Amino acid sequence: MYIQKLVVTLFMVGLLALPGAALSAREIVLEVWQPFDPATSVDAVAREELYRQYEQLNPGIKIKPSILEYGDLHEKLVVAGAARRGPDIVHMLGEWVPEFVRMGIINDVTDQAMAWEDREYFPQSTWDVATQEDRIYGIPSIASPRVLLYREDYLKQAGFDGPPESWEEMIEVAKRITESIPGVYGFAYCSSTKAIRGPQEFLPFLWQTGAEWVIYENGEWKPGFTVAQAEEVFQLYLDLLPSTPSDSIGWEYLEMDNSFVVGQSAMCHNGSWMQIYADRAGEAFQHWRGAPMPANQNRATYFEVKVDGVGAFSNHKEEAWKFLSWLMGKDQMARHSRHDNLPSRTDVIALPEFQEDEWKKPFFEVIADGKSFPPIPMSESNKAMMTKLQEVLCGQKTPFEAAEELLAFLENHLVLVNQ
Amino acid sequence: MKKKNSLLKIIGPYWYFVLLFLLVGFLMLYPLGSGIYLSLWRKNFLYPARDSFVWFENFFRLLFQDDVFWKALKNSLVFTAGSVFFEYLAGLGSGLLLNSKYVPLKNFFRGVVLLPWVVPIAVNSLNWRWMLLPEYGFVNVMLTRIGLGSLARGWLSSLTWAMPTVIFVNVWRSFPFFTITILAGLTLIPKELYEASELDGATRWQEFRFITLPSIKKISMVIIVLHVIWTFANFDVIYLLTAGGPLNRTEVLPTYLYQQAFRFFDMGYASSIGVFVFFFLLVTVGFYFTRFSSFSSQ
Repeated sequence: MYIQKLVVTLFMVGLLALPGAALSAREIVLEVWQPFDPATSVDAVAREELYRQYEQLNPGIKIKPSILEYGDLHEKLVVAGAARRGPDIVHMLGEWVPEFVRMGIINDVTDQAMAWEDREYFPQSTWDVATQEDRIYGIPSIASPRVLLYREDYLKQAGFDGPPESWEEMIEVAKRITESIPGVYGFAYCSSTKAIRGPQEFLPFLWQTGAEWVIYENGEWKPGFTVAQAEEVFQLYLDLLPSTPSDSIGWEYLEMDNSFVVGQSAMCHNGSWMQIYADRAGEAFQHWRGAPMPANQNRATYFEVKVDGVGAFSNHKEEAWKFLSWLMGKDQMARHSRHDNLPSRTDVIALPEFQEDEWKKPFFEVIADGKSFPPIPMSESNKAMMTKLQEVLCGQKTPFEAAEELLAFLENHLVLVNQ
Repeated sequence: MKKKNSLLKIIGPYWYFVLLFLLVGFLMLYPLGSGIYLSLWRKNFLYPARDSFVWFENFFRLLFQDDVFWKALKNSLVFTAGSVFFEYLAGLGSGLLLNSKYVPLKNFFRGVVLLPWVVPIAVNSLNWRWMLLPEYGFVNVMLTRIGLGSLARGWLSSLTWAMPTVIFVNVWRSFPFFTITILAGLTLIPKELYEASELDGATRWQEFRFITLPSIKKISMVIIVLHVIWTFANFDVIYLLTAGGPLNRTEVLPTYLYQQAFRFFDMGYASSIGVFVFFFLLVTVGFYFTRFSSFSSQ
């Protein structure tokens, strides 16, 4: 009697589950892990609309986005990858690509990318970020250089007609603003050891001395800078320190961005997403200006390229690529990179609505100066850079000592990277 | 038939434990065993070709080649000792107040004192982080307004003040647990003991020392041990406040483990840190219980 009841129950459950199973067998769900939040970003709203549009154009395909802040996104991808799971579409910072390739988290899409008719509209420098050892691992979706973001009114108040164009001028302008305008500091920078923004500011300064972080020579990676060059960078930070907000050592991007938005600091290195704070800045936003980085030997700047790829553990790689290449099409990119993000396609940048956007102009003007992180895992290097920087700023080490130790660290670390 | 029934009666109840044992085994023993096993491997997600079984190489590196580990261990001990000590003091003080007949609206305050405990740790830590901002955080603004502007500083960015500040935030968050537990113990102390001591002419301090403290001793020991374990293994408070900075001044073993695992992807090494924490607590707490049980039986 008991067994009969059990059999009947199982049969009924199976019968009820059958339509659901059949439906899900027909429908393909593409999981997208990305940080774009419609609650805070106009471009994210456009993305959501594009997802729905794609679903209408492709019945049977459902796009399921998960919104994760960059730090959480990185960890979730690593943990999921360790369990050999992951989304169908992965949004990544460019500096994650070398790590994820080594971990086997993202899919090689070289064949699809090479056959893609839109490939030529993306500058080679952006494809380079998505490429590891001649294999392509995604489409560069956002390409945004950093500029010197400054408050024109503060500079005028301190007696300057325009932004600084050299390191010496930058130090002088920052100092005069700090001395002459109560409650305002001339400069703000990040030096947190746990976030990526600090290295994104540090490396351009190093590049501006004519150095590189690493160079590839005779089949192996070697340090690309000398002690003198690194010392020059640490000295610059030390020279700027009196002009930065008090106790800002260890700041992350939120503190720095906020400091600029509320008018506490007059200059910082920043990106086009700062436009999302226009409302919060109020009237002050009309005084925000962008300019090329003050130069040393050159005026290299950080060129942030973000990459969207196909997850290595996706069960729908073909459909994922089809969706991704559609999303990065000209019309679609013009919609989802209209506001806080900058497009990576040259034909989109050339559109009138982008060329005539006063906010975006300074960013487009410095693209040629833009450089990206080297194509090696950078986590330990980033931590070492910022640790040495903090030691200098806290007075524990001189710029020379910090430079020496940083070079020694890199030499040691590259032994592992080269293995 | 009778024998079968009596056998079922004996072993029957233990069937209800099978699920519990399976859960404990799966959720606790399996991860623990996996962690110990992983700690014997060189395993880095970035360099999978180098994965190999290396016996105790990770532990050798940890104990003899890693300066940051020793800093983190020292910070863990300071953070734990400081937190538990002040939590106990604050919990004991507030528990005594809430048990006192002279305090009005006791029931109301018994509810209010629980508020820091019920706020989620993440919300608590992030709120404090914003309140402790140097320029416009609530704490420094208030200090300036009441004329104590000279005390305003970068509480979480100062090399000197970062650790005391995180201890303060942790104490603020955790002392209600001590309060409620000690209060429960205080309410169980027979009033006759205090009446008798009053008749004998005992002072307040003597009452506290010879009646109150011994009566809550056992319960105090239990919650101290629990908090030592929880605080030593605490990750979220420090990670959200300072992430171990500035310059490793608040780096504790759990945040260091996290960095090794999720920033540098060195899973084998991170596991060795976890194994160290486990055995350190096991030995410390075990030693303490041995001392305590032998002391209490004297």
